Amino acid sequence: MTMVKPIQMEVANQVLETWNALGVAARATALARTIAGLNDAQARMAQWQLDNAQAQIGEAEVLPGPTGESNVLSTHGRGAFLVTAQTDLEAELKTVALVGHLYAALVAGNPVITVGPEGQALMDQIAPHVPEGVIQNVAESAQDTIIAAAGLAGVAIVCDSQHAQALSQRLAQKDGLLCQLIEETDTQQLSSVAAPHTILRFVTEQTVTTNTTAIGGNATLLELGSQAE
Amino acid sequence: MFNALDVLQPSILERPLDELWQRISPLYSADEEQWLGELLTLAEPTDAQLKASTDAATDLIEQVRADGESMSMIDSLLLEYSLDTKEGILLMCLAEALMRVPDKETADAFIKDRLSVADWASHANHSESFFVNASTWGLLLTGKVVTMDETKDGKPANLVNRMINRVSEPVIRKAMNQAMKIMGHQFVLGRSISEALSRGKSYRDKGYTYSFDMLGEAALTADDADKYLKSYLQAVESVGQDTYSKGYRPTISIKLSALHPRYEVGCEERVMTELFASVKQLITRARELNVGITIDAEEADRLELSLHLFEKLFRDECTKGWGSFGLVVQAYSKRCLPVLTWLAALAKDVGDRIPLRLVKGAYWDSEIKLCQQRGLSGYPVYTRKEGTDVSYLACAHFLLSPHTREWIFPQFASHNAHTIATVATIAERHGANTSEYEFQRLHGMGDALYNRLIKDKDVCVRIYAPVGSHKDLLPYLVRRLLENGANSSFVHRLVDARCPVSELVDHPVTTLKSRKTLRNPLIDLPRDMFDNRANSYGPNIEIEAEWQPFKAAVDAFMGPETKWTAQPIVAGESLSTEDVHAVKSPYDHSLVAGEVHWANAEIVNQAIETAHGAYPTWSQTPADERAACLERMATLMEENYAELVAICHREAGKTIQDSIDEVREAVDFCNYYALEARKNFAAPKAFTNYLGEQQNAKLVGRGVFACISPWNFPLAIFTGQVAAALVAGNTVVCKAAEQTSLIAYRAVQMLHEAGIPKDALHFVPGNGATVGAPLTQHPHIAGLAFTGSTGTAQLINRTLAERGVAPVPVIAETGGQNAMIIDSTSLPEQVVRDAVRSAFASAGQRCSALRVMFVQADIADRVIPMIAGAMQQQSVGLPYLHSTDVGPVIDEKAQTMLLEHIDTMKQEARLIAQSELPQDADKGTFVAPTAFEIDSIDQLKEEKFGPIMHVVRYKAKDLDKIIDTINNSGFGLTMGVHSRNETTCAHIAKRARVGNLYINRDQVGAVVGVQPFGGQGLSGTGPKAGGPHYLPRFAKEQLL
Repeated sequence: MTMVKPIQMEVANQVLETWNALGVAARATALARTIAGLNDAQARMAQWQLDNAQAQIGEAEVLPGPTGESNVLSTHGRGAFLVTAQTDLEAELKTVALVGHLYAALVAGNPVITVGPEGQALMDQIAPHVPEGVIQNVAESAQDTIIAAAGLAGVAIVCDSQHAQALSQRLAQKDGLLCQLIEETDTQQLSSVAAPHTILRFVTEQTVTTNTTAIGGNATLLELGSQAE
Repeated sequence: MFNALDVLQPSILERPLDELWQRISPLYSADEEQWLGELLTLAEPTDAQLKASTDAATDLIEQVRADGESMSMIDSLLLEYSLDTKEGILLMCLAEALMRVPDKETADAFIKDRLSVADWASHANHSESFFVNASTWGLLLTGKVVTMDETKDGKPANLVNRMINRVSEPVIRKAMNQAMKIMGHQFVLGRSISEALSRGKSYRDKGYTYSFDMLGEAALTADDADKYLKSYLQAVESVGQDTYSKGYRPTISIKLSALHPRYEVGCEERVMTELFASVKQLITRARELNVGITIDAEEADRLELSLHLFEKLFRDECTKGWGSFGLVVQAYSKRCLPVLTWLAALAKDVGDRIPLRLVKGAYWDSEIKLCQQRGLSGYPVYTRKEGTDVSYLACAHFLLSPHTREWIFPQFASHNAHTIATVATIAERHGANTSEYEFQRLHGMGDALYNRLIKDKDVCVRIYAPVGSHKDLLPYLVRRLLENGANSSFVHRLVDARCPVSELVDHPVTTLKSRKTLRNPLIDLPRDMFDNRANSYGPNIEIEAEWQPFKAAVDAFMGPETKWTAQPIVAGESLSTEDVHAVKSPYDHSLVAGEVHWANAEIVNQAIETAHGAYPTWSQTPADERAACLERMATLMEENYAELVAICHREAGKTIQDSIDEVREAVDFCNYYALEARKNFAAPKAFTNYLGEQQNAKLVGRGVFACISPWNFPLAIFTGQVAAALVAGNTVVCKAAEQTSLIAYRAVQMLHEAGIPKDALHFVPGNGATVGAPLTQHPHIAGLAFTGSTGTAQLINRTLAERGVAPVPVIAETGGQNAMIIDSTSLPEQVVRDAVRSAFASAGQRCSALRVMFVQADIADRVIPMIAGAMQQQSVGLPYLHSTDVGPVIDEKAQTMLLEHIDTMKQEARLIAQSELPQDADKGTFVAPTAFEIDSIDQLKEEKFGPIMHVVRYKAKDLDKIIDTINNSGFGLTMGVHSRNETTCAHIAKRARVGNLYINRDQVGAVVGVQPFGGQGLSGTGPKAGGPHYLPRFAKEQLL
């Protein structure tokens, strides 16, 4: 498959580091300012995504291990995400689901590209509060170009099952990294986007291991060695 | 168990030497409760003895404190910069690294990094010591600035920050270097023996003598070892010419790890020949010049080896009749007392006396750390300080007994007034006069104590004094100091007038007996280091008592008569097929480990259909029961350790330690996923949904999971994938790499034995075409876990997507182009050790292995030759031998690809080094570890999965460009960083898009639950194996 590099992908990749470096809490704070313009259901979904992200991935996790070593697990954005919905899908909660995907992708640390007028409206709400390039919008006609773009980390889509299957096949045909497909096909219950663990699909993880005794000595352990319990 | 009181009977030395030797190793990690109980009986004083030693110690301390001149240089430093303060640690960090940084930019950045986080000003002028204040002024530049500003705002830390920004960097650098020189001057007696002799004269006038050491880092290359030998020989010459006539003659202490690049058990043959020859040369000359030689003690793993070497030297003509060849023994070692008895018996057997320095031990915290990392049976050292002190006194009783004194000349090294006073009391009790033992102390420490002792008693006190360039010695000395200088140490408390004397004279026997347990419950045993699951066990192959039974057990599976047969297992039945493939050992293709019956499409379909049918029942089996199966599997693997290790050798060509690590990782996966399943799958979890209502969510299995695993971790990754899928509630059809199906077959058998229902787990060995394709094409596959190449992952993903069913999870761990970044603050010896291990261990056949090392240009000319030298010391060969570092690569295809790359690189890059291949390399598929210098990572188009390292030089100012090029490779699996500058480390960690980042250590060997493993971008989809987010991806989250 021919891989293309649209300008939106370049912009997204440039801003990824800055956006990701902010951390979940700071991104959630910035994104919380954007919710006021959403309708009630959308706002609830957006806020829930921010809260859920803070609960699930808000803090880096210090892992247990041998003395003299520090191990910390943190999450980061995967990269540019296309957040979209099937245009001919008629469903009451379609936009709520779209908003859910959008806020989940953003708060997880990904720059996003939205699509069409619906995407534009959301972008207009969010863009003033986040670094430039964190959210971009393309016309529906450009969506396929983004899907085909090299380096696209994932597609979060609200669609029916058939559409999801077709899209899955298209993404699988691409060279390079395995592009993640996060689909919400249950527009009645929102059983994917409204589930607590779905946020994990939007992140990549990093473990940082530090030998804290490289220069020698482990005062904490030495202290234990001479301490009364 | 050794009866400690026996050592006080003269008959102990009548026992056969071999019998005494046999008592040593079993105590390696002896039960502390039981063994210290024995030692207590030996060390326990009578009431009168207790009073005598307490009075003597009290008297000594009071006199020392009254003396006024009490504080020596390093004592003062430790008091002012206590090592439990940020400033104390940071000062040591600076001292450890600054002098070796050659470039100004990195030095300035490092100083700024260290200084900006501490409160230096609060230390200024607190100490009366010129040395401490000179260090502080070095840190603060001038006292004037401090005094003025301190009165203004009283915020010294801010002040320092301002100062750093205000004063030009060259001025700060100069001041800091000056401070480090002062420190070096205090830690090191002289840059040469003649300077040391000259500087030491004033102490010798007081009655001291010396043992000099050119100590520094261990040798990693033959050149280093040769350099150290020359240095020791020069020292012997200089001391030999010493004309000082009063008192005892100085001696030389030698560190065996400096004299041989492979002073380790696996290289015993080389140690007993090459190292023996070096030490003999040294001894021969020393004896001619009448300069005593003492062998220093090192890590616990080397103790038994050091004794073998000592015995060989001690029985050699070079030492016969001399009486000045001695060694050091560490009292913190549980083996100390039996070692001493064996040595005394050896001395008696040979007929020469051994000078023996009894120390408490200087590697305590690294011994603890290593045992935890390696999952060893226990600790070789006592876990309480008072345990060590009791051992010290118990050993002193033995050493000072009349029957021992005849054969051992004891030298007691301690800076603890109570220990010193008690030893003197014990000596009196045993009738030893002061010419029959001596004390030893470190240069710069314990001056006051020993000045007083020398005045009071006519006893020899020897100062152990480092000699050599400050730049070379400071890093080593600082590390030792940090390991010994916590504020609880006696040195610190002695000079701290706030600490009451009564607290310093507690007898360790009294203190230890007052504890509820003799073992320290605050330091968990390696097995128990995780709160809620068992750590996997690893035997220590460096210790005879563990190695010999382990080897015998493995050897039982190594003979040609032992062969394994792997077959497809469907519904618990092993099926024979016509498609049978012999499994040849990668190190010798004439050896057959067994055969594998490959499955076919029909068997695969049958397996999937059966698994599909079993799914409803298995997914509804309580998570607790599923988890219990995994825990039983972990136990079964440990019960079958030897067989699994033997298959690792014979089928996968894995070395001994790699095979042990393999089993350990598989065990850890089972225990960890069992724990996670109990935590997250046992019951629905309540949450508030987006509408603000309370709701429950439950994780349930998805259906039939396909697991496709690689040959490089044939047990660990195979078991990890399967265990995760099963415990999450899926049924599983699994395919191992066609190269390593024997061990996978055994694993599946064990999983069934552990309670996994036979219709829930099926095994389909074969290759991609025969098994992989039908497996991934089947519409019932509800998810797939794969570890292997990026290309295969894409292919599998496409096949799954083409099935015309809803998309399913694909959890792929793929390749990497892993880098290590090294700046000029790093310690070359650590860098080289970690780089060589990261690049060449497991013949480079780890996803995490180092492929491209970026070394700052300013130190490249030092680091690169060291890498070349260390590579020459790598032993490539038969994986089941203890001496082998690097085994074969997996097969001819891999070998051909790697050799082609080496040929290409020989044309396009500069060869740094290539290790030697063994004579019979042609019998198997070996590839010599090879390193090339290249200009850019862009010269490498794809990952080369084998023992080939590439090195790129970079300029300090281009660090960000380097990170960009690594990120731009698209891979993002592991990265190593070596730097003492925390700001640099944090910057790299923030920018590098990799899954696992390792700072100041090697970058391989991720531990389950500790270092969750997996990459990003081209390196994998996540979630990380062995991490908390892994299992949910194998499950559906049902909203209830």
